Amino acid sequence: MMGVLRSELFKLRTTRATKLVLATAVILPSVIVVLTSVFGFSDGSSASFSSLTAYAGGSSALVGLLMGVVGVLCSTQEYSQGTIRITLVATPQRYKVLLAKVCTVIIVSVGATASLIVLSIVPSNFILKSRDIDVEIIGPDIRIIFSMFIVITMLSLLGLFLGLLFKSSPGAISALLLWPTIIEGLIFALLSLAFAGNILRFAPIQGNGFSLTNEFRYPEDNSWVLSLGYFSAFVAVFIVLGTFFFSRRDA
Amino acid sequence: MIVVENLSKTYGAKKAVDDLSFTVSPGRVTGFLGPNGSGKSTTLRCMLGLDRPDSGTATFDGQHYRDFVQPLTHVGSLLDAGDAHKGRSARNHLRWIAMTHGFPTSRVDEVLQMVGMSEVAKTKVGKFSLGMRQRLGLATALLGDPRVVILDEPANGLDPEGIRWTRDVMRHLADEGKSVLVSSHQLVELSLVADDLVVIGQGKLISSGPISQFMTQHAKTWVRVVSPQLDVLITLATQRGATVERTREGADFSSITAIELGDLAASNAVVLHELSPQSGSLEQAFLEATDTAVEYRGEKTTNVWEAPRP
Repeated sequence: MMGVLRSELFKLRTTRATKLVLATAVILPSVIVVLTSVFGFSDGSSASFSSLTAYAGGSSALVGLLMGVVGVLCSTQEYSQGTIRITLVATPQRYKVLLAKVCTVIIVSVGATASLIVLSIVPSNFILKSRDIDVEIIGPDIRIIFSMFIVITMLSLLGLFLGLLFKSSPGAISALLLWPTIIEGLIFALLSLAFAGNILRFAPIQGNGFSLTNEFRYPEDNSWVLSLGYFSAFVAVFIVLGTFFFSRRDA
Repeated sequence: MIVVENLSKTYGAKKAVDDLSFTVSPGRVTGFLGPNGSGKSTTLRCMLGLDRPDSGTATFDGQHYRDFVQPLTHVGSLLDAGDAHKGRSARNHLRWIAMTHGFPTSRVDEVLQMVGMSEVAKTKVGKFSLGMRQRLGLATALLGDPRVVILDEPANGLDPEGIRWTRDVMRHLADEGKSVLVSSHQLVELSLVADDLVVIGQGKLISSGPISQFMTQHAKTWVRVVSPQLDVLITLATQRGATVERTREGADFSSITAIELGDLAASNAVVLHELSPQSGSLEQAFLEATDTAVEYRGEKTTNVWEAPRP
C-alpha cells in the first residue's frame, strides 16, 4: 500500500499541470494577503488573521477550488493519457488505488493549506509589526484556520471523485467550478423568489462549505457544525458515486 | 501457463468475446490472431482485470490476475504504446510503476538499457516516435522480470531493425521458459517467431494449437512442376484427380503430392526440370481461416482510380 501511495505522490509531482495549479493555489493567495498587510490596516493598530483572509477576498474558496482542480487532474490525467490501464495492471486491487489517490489528495491539500497559512501569516506578521500593528490570533481565527483545512481538503476530494465520474478534465473542472459559482447561485436565487428566508443556507458549497471560513455568522445561517455536516454530506455523495463507478467500470 | 476458460464479454448488444477458451504454454511464443474487431484486445483486457468479463476465467499459473500481490513479477504486459503521460520522462514513467512494487531505481535503468533507451531516459515521452514508445512499453512489460509476457502489437511503428529486435526478445523470453502471448497483424513476422497460434473471429475461437497444425489445416499446398513434357504429365495427373493451373514457366498441381507426381513422371519417362512442394503463407492461411469471421471488410469492387467521373 505504501508503494502505491508513493507512486501516486510521484505521479502528481512529475506532471507540469498539477505543479502549476498547486503553486498558483499556494502563492497567489499568499501574495494577496502579504500585499494586504503592506497596504491595508491603515486605520487600525491591530489585526487578526481572519481579517487578513477576509481582505484577501475569501482565499480559502479560491484555494479550495484550485485544489479541487488538482484533485480532478489526479484522476482525469490517468484517463486522458491512458496511464489508468498501467495503474490498474500494476495494482489490480482497485480499492488500493483509490485509497492511495485519496491519501495523496489529502496530503497535498493539507500541505498546501499549511504552506498558504505559513506563507501568509509569517511575512504579514513581520510587515504589520514593522508598521507597529499587532497581529493577534483570537478565538474565531483558530476555527477559521481549522475550517480552511477542512474546506480545502473536501473540495480537493470533490475534484478527485468528480474526475473519476467524468473521466475527462474539461467535464469535471467545469462541474467543479460552475456548480458553486453559477449553478448554485442561480438555483437558490430562483428558490428565494418562491420561499421566504435565507434559502442560501441550503446551498451545499456557497452556503455551507465556503461559509465555514467566514468570520461572522448571522443568526439565520446554519450553525458551524450543521454547515460542516451538510457540506460533508454533499461531498460524501460524490465520494460514494465515484467509488462505485471506479470499482465497477471497465478501464 | 495461461489458461483462458469460457471467457465471454458483451458491450451493449455486441458480443465482443464469446465463450473463448485457450491455453498458452511456457517456453513457447503464442501468436494471438484475429481480424479487426474480433475481440483480441477485449480478451487481453479481461485477462488483466481491466474489463469485467460476463462469464469465464483467465488464470496465470492457476491464479487470477487480481489475486496477485505483486502482479508485475508474474505477468508483464504491453497493451498500448500510447499509455504514458506525454509530459513525463521515460525514466520517471518507469519509476512510478516501479514504486508500486518497491523495485529499486537501478532496475528502471536496467530495463531502459535492455530496450536501448538509456540515452533518452530523461527525454519526455511526448517527444518519442511510435517506435520509441513501443520500446518503452516493452520496458514496462519487462520491469518485473515476469514469467508471463503479454504483448499487443509490439512491432507497430518499429523499423526493420526494431522488428527483428522485438522478435529476438520474444524468442529469448520463450527460451528462458516464459509464456509469451503476442497479438500482431504482422503475419510474416509472427510466422518467424510463433510456435503456437490462437486464432479468433467475431469473439469465437477458430483455431488453437501449433502453427504447423494451423498451416496444415488452412494453408493451400501444391506442387510446382517445370518440364519439357508438361502436357503429358498434366494428362496423367488429371486422370488421377489432380487439378492443374498453368503458370508462365510450368504448372501448379493440387490434390496430389510431390511423391505421387514424381513417381508418375518416372513411370512414364517424363523429364522433370523442377518438382517442388509449395505451401501458402501464414497470411493466406489466416485469410482462409477467418474469411467468414471478418466483420469490417473493404469494398472489393471499388477502385478509386476507376471511380465514375461526374
